[in-house]
Amino acid sequence: MQVSASLAARSYGAARPLTSPDAEAAGSPATAGARLAEDFAQVLQRAETTAQQAMTGDADPHALVASLSEAQLAVETAVAVRDKVVEAYLEILRMPV
Amino acid sequence: MSTLTDTLALAASGMQAQAQRLRHVSENIANADTPGYHRKFIDFRPAAIAGDAFGQESGVMPGPVRLDRGELPRIYDPGHILADETGHYDGSNVDLMVEIADAREAQRSYEANLRMFDQARQMSQSLIGLLRR
Repeated sequence: MQVSASLAARSYGAARPLTSPDAEAAGSPATAGARLAEDFAQVLQRAETTAQQAMTGDADPHALVASLSEAQLAVETAVAVRDKVVEAYLEILRMPV
Repeated sequence: MSTLTDTLALAASGMQAQAQRLRHVSENIANADTPGYHRKFIDFRPAAIAGDAFGQESGVMPGPVRLDRGELPRIYDPGHILADETGHYDGSNVDLMVEIADAREAQRSYEANLRMFDQARQMSQSLIGLLRR
């Protein structure tokens, strides 16, 4: 009885790393969210830099329009995703306990 | 999403190239009466755009400025300061008809790129709009 319990514990311990969630995996929601936020910040940063360059005459207006449209789409995406998240949270709050 | 942003960048590169072309057309027209002026023109070549998802040269950029080596017309004006002993001087080989046609072509190509830009933006916006319902 004693031997079989330790054997079971050991084999369970060996199998555990296989099933535990890998935080570094690309599919993990936390890292995906972090990467999304990073990309969003990069797009906004690029639009800001291009706008400044266009104001000082370094960048041409085509690059300005392209990067501002990209930033507009990024902001719209972020707002839509945020609305969805808030909506889901309110749905959970309304749940009868 | 990234293919649509690529479309935005590609259309912007096309518009930039056509604007450059129009700039040289206007330079030619401004110098149409300059003695000894050779007509300038550019041709386009493929170029990589920033953040291209396919990693190849899919955008367009204007190439180096080239001079039209065509013969300059001999203009008869004995009183002109550049006139030689026969009373002729070299004019410019700018043909206004050719320049106007080139300008119109640049305008149409610019409009086509502008439409592509607008369409790609509308497509992205309606895609994101699906999330709001």
